[in-house]
Amino acid sequence: MAELLVQQLVNWITLGCIYALLAIGFSLIFGVLNVIHFSHGDVAMTAPFIALALVQGSMAVVGVTGPAWLLLAVVVAVLAVGVIGIALDKIVIRRFRDAPAMMALVATVALGIVIRELIRHLYPQGSNPHAFPRLVSGMAFEVAGVSVSWFALLVVAITAILVTLLFVFLRMTALGLRIRAASEDRVVARMMGIRDSRVFRATFFIASAIGAIAGLLFASYAGVTRFDFGVMAGLLGFSAAVIGGLGSMPGAILGGLIIAGIEVLAQTFVPDGASYRLVFVFLLVIAVLIFRPAGLLGRTVMEKV
Amino acid sequence: MRQDIASSASPGKSAAVAFTVASQLVGAVFLYLILKADGGLQIVGLLALLGLGFFILEKQPWIAEQAMASFARVPLVSMITAGIIVVGFPFIVGSNTYILHLLIVAQLYAVLALALNFQLGSANIPNFATGASYGIGAYVSALLAINFGLSFWLTLPVAALAATLFGFIIGIPSMRTRDTYLALVTIAFGVVVQQLLNNFEWTGGPNGLVGIPAPSLFGHSFADPLVVFGWRLPSQANFYYLSAALVVVAIITAHRLHSSRIGLAWNALRADEIAAKAQGINVAWYKVLAFAVDAFLAAFAGTIYAFYVSYISPDNFTFLVSVTIMTMVIVGGMDNIFGVIVGAFLLTILPEKLRAFSDYRLLFFGVVIIGFLMIRPQGLFPQRMRRYGGE
Repeated sequence: MAELLVQQLVNWITLGCIYALLAIGFSLIFGVLNVIHFSHGDVAMTAPFIALALVQGSMAVVGVTGPAWLLLAVVVAVLAVGVIGIALDKIVIRRFRDAPAMMALVATVALGIVIRELIRHLYPQGSNPHAFPRLVSGMAFEVAGVSVSWFALLVVAITAILVTLLFVFLRMTALGLRIRAASEDRVVARMMGIRDSRVFRATFFIASAIGAIAGLLFASYAGVTRFDFGVMAGLLGFSAAVIGGLGSMPGAILGGLIIAGIEVLAQTFVPDGASYRLVFVFLLVIAVLIFRPAGLLGRTVMEKV
Repeated sequence: MRQDIASSASPGKSAAVAFTVASQLVGAVFLYLILKADGGLQIVGLLALLGLGFFILEKQPWIAEQAMASFARVPLVSMITAGIIVVGFPFIVGSNTYILHLLIVAQLYAVLALALNFQLGSANIPNFATGASYGIGAYVSALLAINFGLSFWLTLPVAALAATLFGFIIGIPSMRTRDTYLALVTIAFGVVVQQLLNNFEWTGGPNGLVGIPAPSLFGHSFADPLVVFGWRLPSQANFYYLSAALVVVAIITAHRLHSSRIGLAWNALRADEIAAKAQGINVAWYKVLAFAVDAFLAAFAGTIYAFYVSYISPDNFTFLVSVTIMTMVIVGGMDNIFGVIVGAFLLTILPEKLRAFSDYRLLFFGVVIIGFLMIRPQGLFPQRMRRYGGE
């Protein structure tokens, strides 16, 4: 029993970190643009495909392969997805930032369809699942008879580093200050001489790059990636951001851990829980929002008349 | 130009009659051509024509004004013309069952879009669970028919009742949550229903339910061809007329609700919730009511769908189905009954016709939706001002 518990604890933290990274992207973009970027999950899940393509490309051109090439491919993929995020904002999402919220939601859902279909057509045999390597392999140490993998440690370390960096960036740099100002009040921020196009560019780059890291970790965790993984990744990341409270970074992390927690709990303790896990996740989402309508750590905004 | 607008506000009676009949016939011919069209070039040509039509409408708004004034001037004529076109369409289409199938599905989606329009259009409440209500209607009626041998006509009200109950349940969180948070609540409900249908033993799991018996009316089974005055229409014609009748019911319901105090209350909610509350409108009740009405109508569409295809599975009622219905309302024009119906027809027929682009059809579909939203964000037919009698 203890072994099972520790094992599930490790799974929970790994998965929770990945969801938290996805949720941070949703929260960041919503905070600044007031737009739900529903295709964020799909953007994130392009990263594993870009990395795979790069690895295979380098193998075909240079003829060598190895962990160093994989690492390089991963870094390039993360940067590329950041740029893709900026491009999507420029071409599509920006036009909906003043439109009714539902319009932006529907537009980004359609954008998600386009991204998925593009992956399916551009990547060779894109309709099939593709194996994705573990970024690091091997077992790090043993706790109560359960060996903890280097991969789990890597996920936790990356999440901790990213969250710290993001925190420092938002609190201590000028650009971070501008982003926070724009997310508080875009109009006033503009009046203070903050050019919002720069803020949007920075926000989308950061959110998409963090999403790409989450996507790579997710593909690596599952060992496989497929063009339509973005739907569920997006839905779960969005749910995590919302139950944590949109616009709140600690909320996004908390939300990710909660969503992953209920998923792991359902799989472990409920008979046939694996097939019902989404039911439990979304029932929890409903319950949280009934009792905390603005999310767990969200600010309840008093409406002024 | 100014003079034109002034005089077009009240067209002459004969001009109005000519205009209504002509415009409806043009619409019907266009629909027929699109349905018949086959091969990439023809589709692209017709789409370009459609785009041009909307471009002209955008540049010359008096055309739409004129149309509305004409329809209002001679409502009886326009209704009779529409009736003749709808009744006569299967005779023109003849034995082409594929076109009839498309029309049936388009009509069912028109009902779903009208159902959602009560919320999204009238009251601006997001609802991503219309697909789930649709599924509940389909499953309840199918289960009753398969397990208890209930007839189609009996399952119809039962399914509607069950879905309405579901609508009330989703409506309850709507009293506390709003906007994006409410959108997530409805998404969550939709996913939960779809996942349960996918996992329960008694709903057939992912395989769904097979062998739903065809309904019959006055001894005429809907699985048999329809014979009218020696004309032999394929069996799909039965369902075509059934779903057309449902569309008529939905339109009448929508129209009556829109002009009632309920519709007014929903519009007030959309304009300003706090102001509506201050006016003494029971905000919570009207919100929940919007969910219930949506679910009620969606269940009717679901029941007809289940009996029509005689096979349903959870894949028919996913999150993406709900998104498609939402897109129909937004693309067509929120709170505009005619626009919503056009949106439903367009977005049902378009993906089918894009099969000419075989594998690229979903990609194309997504691009078209984004294009629509960017170019004409208020929808093809924008919502109109309420008119309180007089001028």
